[in-house]
Amino acid sequence: MPIIELFDIHKTYRIGEVETRALDGVSLNFEPGEFSAIVGPSGSGKTTLLQIMGCLDRPDRGIVKLDDRDVTRLNADQRAELRRNVIGFIFQFFALIPVLDAYENVELPLLLAGVGARERRERTLEMLEAVGLSDRIHHRPNQLSGGQQQRVAIARALVKRPLVVLADEPTANLDTANGEQAMEIMQRLNEQTGTAFIFATHDPRVMKFARRTIHLVDGRVAENHAPVPVEAAVRSLSHPGEPRA
Amino acid sequence: MTRTKLWMIAYRGLTRNRRRTFFTMLAVALGLALLITLNGYISGVMEDGLQNSIRLQTGHVQVRAAGYPDGKHSVQWKDLIERPEEIAAQAMAMPEVRAAAPILWLDAVLSTGEESVGLQVYGIDVNSPLHDPLRASVIAGAFLEATDRSGVLMGGRLAQSLNLKVGDTVPLVTINANGEPVEAPFVIRGLFSSGVLVYDESVLFMPLARAQSFALTGNRASAVMIELHRREDADKVAVALAQPGLQTFTWRDLNAFILQSMDAAFSFYILMDAIVIMIVAVIIANTLLMAVFERVREIGILAALGMKRLEILLMVLYEAAIIALAGVVVGIALGLLGVFFLTQNGFVLGEMATTAGNLPISNVVYARFAPDLFTWLAVWTFLIALLASLYPAWFAARLEPVRALHTE
Ligand SMILES: Nc1ncnc2c1ncn2[C@@H]1O[C@H](COP(=O)(O)OP(=O)(O)OP(=O)(O)O)[C@@H](O)[C@H]1O
Ligand SMILES: [Mg+2]
Repeated sequence: MPIIELFDIHKTYRIGEVETRALDGVSLNFEPGEFSAIVGPSGSGKTTLLQIMGCLDRPDRGIVKLDDRDVTRLNADQRAELRRNVIGFIFQFFALIPVLDAYENVELPLLLAGVGARERRERTLEMLEAVGLSDRIHHRPNQLSGGQQQRVAIARALVKRPLVVLADEPTANLDTANGEQAMEIMQRLNEQTGTAFIFATHDPRVMKFARRTIHLVDGRVAENHAPVPVEAAVRSLSHPGEPRA
Repeated sequence: MTRTKLWMIAYRGLTRNRRRTFFTMLAVALGLALLITLNGYISGVMEDGLQNSIRLQTGHVQVRAAGYPDGKHSVQWKDLIERPEEIAAQAMAMPEVRAAAPILWLDAVLSTGEESVGLQVYGIDVNSPLHDPLRASVIAGAFLEATDRSGVLMGGRLAQSLNLKVGDTVPLVTINANGEPVEAPFVIRGLFSSGVLVYDESVLFMPLARAQSFALTGNRASAVMIELHRREDADKVAVALAQPGLQTFTWRDLNAFILQSMDAAFSFYILMDAIVIMIVAVIIANTLLMAVFERVREIGILAALGMKRLEILLMVLYEAAIIALAGVVVGIALGLLGVFFLTQNGFVLGEMATTAGNLPISNVVYARFAPDLFTWLAVWTFLIALLASLYPAWFAARLEPVRALHTE
């Protein structure tokens, strides 16, 4: 059963008279444990889509199901509840709380989720270890490199063991080496924990890691390369360009 | 979410911009310190006026004849107490009473070669401890003797303005018990300075016996003046001394006008207090709003991580509470320091004191610790500061996580 189901999602932004159609009828499913990339040109609606999936925003039309539950009509507090329990976020600009150190940043989602002190400590340290930052736990974000900051963000997204991690351009502000390292860590955690990862990205390095790539163009799904069984892959190779059913 | 952690994030938010936090805290502290000091001083002025009035004019309890007119002096026999010593003795027997003695009030006119001034003459029992403060305030010459048939005690300021000195003889005119004007010469035995300028300019003391013979009142007196150990006992003593043909007054009755104008003055000062508190509130609201604007993104992150609106609201309120509490604590400390300073070093009011209407204010007035008033001010400063932070808190809670995240 899919963890996220999107049916005919529409989203239009209005600034004064100007309307921007960011999403124009997107329908997609995401399965547990996937490692997928949403790619497409700038302005194609990737961020908008992630925000709607992550209950940060609501579609104008269409239905979003999270873990088989319609979340489209939930109020602000109910959506906050979902975000704190089942969704992890990783942002392009790391989005750490500058006044908290690495440990406290990673601990924060557990505090929000009401996890007890002892378990909180264990899981926080475990996650920091998993991203290789055990020796940096009391550094503030401004005392960490970009790559280290993004690893703190990865730890923070995963510490509450979410169903899915939504990552918006996680490598855009990292150099090649750090970008690769971040991707490797996420891939490893995906394999170890079974948490699904969905990326929005321009970055070929991310696409290279992805097991499925979804192309957005002008707010529509142009191509959707699902993790394909071997014979289907062979078929698609023999009939290039043929649209999938 | 554990409340302590909200506190922690709020606190961390404050340490981010230490200077701003400090100055906001200081604004609260200085505002409150100013209020406490001012109110302590005003309270001192009021209390001083009341104390002076009690000490010099009214006493804590007075017993008068039933017919004694309100608001003016009379020496007609029907208006006077017939055996004032008995009442004084009865009062003195009560443990609450510190001193009690008869007094006779006369209106008089003093004429020098050039000018005439209207005065009040107080015929007093010079041996009563009631007049110890007066005895202590003699600045030239000597205090009166009970048997002195021609001596008077005059305010130093009055003597100065009339160009008189100790030993000079002055004629006094009064209307006696029969309604006839009588004149007699008196010698200035001493000069006093009570510290209350109005008083020093218009009151003359002479021994009771001489005042009685001057106005032909026999042994009668205008009133028996009673001083208590504690002014709270006034009602009790007044009730105990009540008897037909007499009326008793407590210091509250006798100073009703002063108490009333004190109340009126206080409403004015409450307005002033409110303005200062409002200014402090605006500063807090402004700082917090700036802090919220500065952290739109951070609040967006917290919201994205699943912090609820109420929690964000509380977080900002905690921040305000920490600033306000620190400000109030420092403000109380500074304010008490200010009050303490003014209890040691009074303001010399000088001529200002004479223009304070009916309030017999001392020449030098000191502040007074008024714990009730100070607590009230501190609590209100804190509450209003919290109230003022509701808007920034509400603003923060209303931020959309998406919009907040877009701000880079
Ligand atoms: N808050 C907003 N208000 C108005 N228009 C918006 C808003 N957010 C996005 N848009 C518009 O919606 C469209 C889709 O934006 P979105 O951010 O989803 O694109 P994207 O694929 O993430 O682009 P990029 O690769 O540059 O991040 C764009 O045309 C953008 O200008
Ligand atoms: Mg984007």
